[in-house]
Amino acid sequence: MMKLKIFLGAILGILTSLTSLNAQVKGLIVGPGAERYPIAVSPLKNLGQSDDTKKLSEGIADTIVRDLNLSGWFKVLDRSAYIENPQSTGITLGSFDFKDWSVIGAEGLVKGGFTLQGEELTAELRLFDVYQGKQILGKRYTASAKDFRRIAHRFADDIIFQFTGVQGVFNTRIAYVSTGGGRFKEIYVSHLDGTERVQVTNNRTINLSPSWAPDGRSILYTSYKDGNPSLYLFDLFAGKDSKFSSRGVLNLGGKWSPNGKFVAVTLERQGNTDIYLLDSGGSLVRRLTEYPGIDVSPTWSPDGQSLAFVSDRSGSPQIYIMEVDSGKTRRLTFSGSYNTSPDWSPKGDRIAYTSRVAGRFHIFTIPVQGGEPQDLTPGSGDNEDPSWSPDGRYLAFSSNRRGSYNIYIMQASGENQQRLTASGGDDKNPSWSPRLE
Amino acid sequence: MTVRLSKAWLGLIFLAFLTLAGCSRTATSQPQTSPPSSSQPSAKSETAKPSPKDSTSLEQLREGQASSTESGPLKEIYFDYDKYDLRADARETLKANAGWLKSNASERVEIEGHCDERGTNEYNLALGAKRAQAAKDFLATLGIPAQRLSTISYGKELPVCRESTEECWQKNRRDRFVIMTGRPAS
Repeated sequence: MMKLKIFLGAILGILTSLTSLNAQVKGLIVGPGAERYPIAVSPLKNLGQSDDTKKLSEGIADTIVRDLNLSGWFKVLDRSAYIENPQSTGITLGSFDFKDWSVIGAEGLVKGGFTLQGEELTAELRLFDVYQGKQILGKRYTASAKDFRRIAHRFADDIIFQFTGVQGVFNTRIAYVSTGGGRFKEIYVSHLDGTERVQVTNNRTINLSPSWAPDGRSILYTSYKDGNPSLYLFDLFAGKDSKFSSRGVLNLGGKWSPNGKFVAVTLERQGNTDIYLLDSGGSLVRRLTEYPGIDVSPTWSPDGQSLAFVSDRSGSPQIYIMEVDSGKTRRLTFSGSYNTSPDWSPKGDRIAYTSRVAGRFHIFTIPVQGGEPQDLTPGSGDNEDPSWSPDGRYLAFSSNRRGSYNIYIMQASGENQQRLTASGGDDKNPSWSPRLE
Repeated sequence: MTVRLSKAWLGLIFLAFLTLAGCSRTATSQPQTSPPSSSQPSAKSETAKPSPKDSTSLEQLREGQASSTESGPLKEIYFDYDKYDLRADARETLKANAGWLKSNASERVEIEGHCDERGTNEYNLALGAKRAQAAKDFLATLGIPAQRLSTISYGKELPVCRESTEECWQKNRRDRFVIMTGRPAS
């Protein structure tokens, strides 16, 4: 069985000698507000004998285009403007004319080819600098044909690394809660671009607050499937669901510490809603907050030394930061009378949260040491539950700006807000996975 | 150099098969007519099917009933926005509820805390828990033993009213009291 699963998922990324080591273009794109880099992504050339019945030529190119658009760094030129016929030109230097691309305004160019033998797909992808007439990057991958999107995501991540010095995040997933148009709330996982959607829970009750383990293997979530809201662990690898914490009235929002040794949760015991520390098996380690009101929604600092959480100890919900070992706690947010659902950036420098502004809910970020909060979603419906990407450069969140709630992503600056899901129901509580390789 | 894909990826693929299998199972079973599983105690296996006003809000969701505004002998109490302290009107209602509980001393009751649609899900779940607890604490001061009262929070998940108006929000900011006698203790 194990062998079968590995076989099913096998994708071999062969870093070939195609890579030209001296063509570094890192740092070309700088920061938010910089002009987007115009790039063309050509459909792939069919290098084999068989017809492209699986539409791999455009399928791989489309996926790269979607990723580059989501990244916010690129302006992908519309395919209808392309002059060159990808099936009749080559994919290596000298076998096509850079002028065909410079005249349409492309500064970067992605070309590639594929062969399909049975179900085995081999794809070769190359990134060129059109002005310099040079190849920047080249890779060859083999995979099962149905996994063609992963090849595209990997290459998109590599392109982003070339331009920004940090690997992209397109080999990640988002877990979220969706009504799917019905009355139950179930957990789903999909790729960032909304494809490959998988329903994780199917218990016809209410399931909430999914959260990834640091190794990407499992998801913690809260469910009413046995009556009281309890915490469950779904092992994505084994397909196994187990009860993780079922104590008292409320078991909420389990978050793994970065080293995977602890889980911070909200429990209600003796009428008190407090943050507790559990070990990796779900056993109680200790109580972290003692305040008699509401303490809820913990999120770890990337060094695992501190937790941010929500407390109403000042009379309204505000974000606080606690040192886990000493218990020393300070208040972080002072503007607004409703600040909830904090998420600590993997970069460590900022905390994203939901804040009420004039009766609507906006996503803000604030420096961890305190200071001026930044409103990332001014004037566009209700926006809730931010979740950072593993590189700290993007935020996923839910918004009802188009009626029902959907999952959106934006850059950490608030730029390039794009909708990811459109289930027909309400999609909420996104949790961005760690990198999955 | 060869890179093999991580196990997490493989799990997701495997999961897709499991989910498909799960879907086909549930699609053919009717929740109302299927026998209760022996490993999962079910209220329905021990009592007649409760009428909407006697059902918990979760049971109403499962059965596809609208969340109940119908009142049994125990009346709902209402809260101000983002508050869990008891208003004067809520205390009066709780006194009447305590009177009924005293003359029906064998009845067990679950107090459901609910919130309106505004704000984030998790904070509202905590708020609903505090609302249910506030009623339980007050009933205890009126002499109702704590072991007859359980609490649960549904946060903003199961509203009785779905319009974005203060009138509707007020209906949702409530504690609901469900008689649990005859059901297995949780």
